[in-house]
Amino acid sequence: MIKVRPQLGGMGGSDITAPIPASRLRWQRGLSRALFLLPIIFMMVFFALPLALTVVWSVFERTMFWMKPGFTLFSYENFFFSARLDNFLSSMMHSSVSVVVSFVLGFPIAVFIRRRIPQVAQHRVILLFILPFMVSEIIRIFALRPVLQRTGLVNTVLLELGVITEPITAILYTPMGVIIGEVMSFLPFIVFAGFLAMEAVPKYIFEICDDLGAPRHRVFIDVILPLAAPGIFAGGVFIFVNGLGVALLPNILGGPGAVNAGLIATQAIAALDFPLAMAVSAIMMATLLALLYLGHRLFNLTRILSPIN
Amino acid sequence: MGDDYTRLWTYRLKWLYTLLVVFTLMLPVFYVIYISFNQNGFGARDYVFTFEWYSGIFTDLLLMNALGNTMLLAAITTVLAVPLGLIAAKFYKATGTDRAKLLTVSLLLSPLFVPADILGSALLVFFKNLNIACATAGEWLGVSWFETWFELGYFSALVGLIIYTIPYIFVVILITMGRYKEQQSEAARSCGATAWQAFYQIEFPQIRAGVFSACAFTVILSFNEYTRTSLLKGGYDTITSVLISQMLNEGMSEQSYAMSSLISFIAIAVIGSIIIYTLVHTDRLEREARAKAQPVMSS
Repeated sequence: MIKVRPQLGGMGGSDITAPIPASRLRWQRGLSRALFLLPIIFMMVFFALPLALTVVWSVFERTMFWMKPGFTLFSYENFFFSARLDNFLSSMMHSSVSVVVSFVLGFPIAVFIRRRIPQVAQHRVILLFILPFMVSEIIRIFALRPVLQRTGLVNTVLLELGVITEPITAILYTPMGVIIGEVMSFLPFIVFAGFLAMEAVPKYIFEICDDLGAPRHRVFIDVILPLAAPGIFAGGVFIFVNGLGVALLPNILGGPGAVNAGLIATQAIAALDFPLAMAVSAIMMATLLALLYLGHRLFNLTRILSPIN
Repeated sequence: MGDDYTRLWTYRLKWLYTLLVVFTLMLPVFYVIYISFNQNGFGARDYVFTFEWYSGIFTDLLLMNALGNTMLLAAITTVLAVPLGLIAAKFYKATGTDRAKLLTVSLLLSPLFVPADILGSALLVFFKNLNIACATAGEWLGVSWFETWFELGYFSALVGLIIYTIPYIFVVILITMGRYKEQQSEAARSCGATAWQAFYQIEFPQIRAGVFSACAFTVILSFNEYTRTSLLKGGYDTITSVLISQMLNEGMSEQSYAMSSLISFIAIAVIGSIIIYTLVHTDRLEREARAKAQPVMSS
């Protein structure tokens, strides 16, 4: 694809312009190839390499302010045989709940947009969901405090309406608060992923189902879900992993016990325990890779990319 | 589509639900903006409209300094990351083998799946190690000009921001490129255009909208980013780090409400105007295309 001056030598072009020396040509071709590989090299060096090296650094020995090469499983022991494991497992639980809630609330929107809105207008409706995502994460998460607080918006409105007689305190500084925060932060992603996934479900399929008189829930379970599964899975993994890894959520919305992997890692860094932070990162990466591998085996995730190709 | 007419109310209810979800997602931000104009602050019985809390923002030197740093980072990230994403998208389209395609797409999209704190910690330790390696190598070689290359600072923060934003850029540009027909470049090349001319004069005008919206996203995303920047930035302040430290130290003060709503307001205004512009623009393009497609009546 990357051709450099293909007209050289042919069509008598060299009569008019002086021929370009072969050495310069080779140099140019090498340069353009290097240019095209630049993003890949960049991502390899600054993204794949650091994440892969977390495994190596996690077995280093901890020193007072840094770490030194060596082999010890102390960091893993520190993670697996302490309250950290319980925190990690319970944050996995909360993340899974958020995935399910986001799917139930968000995926019908993706189906609705694909099915009922004219093709040209579909992208515009999707754009609406980009808007909340454009407000800074920290502001969106912090803004939930005045909304969910004891004297906050939700409680005030519900008290005024007479739905409740006492303010609800279970929705902030509790696991419930973390789940609400995760759903509020990541719901747009299940809409995007679902929207992309529904590309795999052509409109005529709904017409066929209607003609054959299939009931709605059967259309959903037997037709939409299997076809859109890769996209839904990718969106679900995104929410799950971010729920585990974004430290701000439990830090700001969770109570004393709410700790996820991201928070363990940043706390370890603050305590200058770098091998532990790296061990947490390595465990998170292993979780992510296992999930993606599982998803790939089950649904062939490359199918998500078909709309791009 | 038949039952849209027979079941108009379910259709309307679904629309209502969609808009309600968007509204709910935005509600906390709107509420913060609402509080920021109240002279009595959060939770007060009486609402007195005021700009008082905003006036303090622009005279805060620490904040203005942080704003400068943040804007600089956002600008450089955009200048570097958008061309990188564009080149990657070109490479993805051009490369023939499935394995190269898979490698490109998985490398460029996987940062989406790596949470901020995990990537930030990994890069932090990576840069610290590089720094030590450089110092050791410098000592060994007896030269020192490269010793400070990998110190935590603008460079490391930029790397973190580029890795954060590049998946979005890649996807946005790739989707706009999907509408471009590669044969046009080939035609241009066979007419004697150089590769650069074929790209800049033929292809770029057609993907310009995607590139520009990728730029806007990058500016906003890197302006808003907290976790990666704060882990990698070294000594200086950015807007979000000032905001977070203010919120964590003093609780939500009136000024932090004002700052939050100002930042959100800017982001909403920028993205909102881009969305509106794209809508109007595509409408006009469609109308023009339809007009051109209509047969010319001879009198």
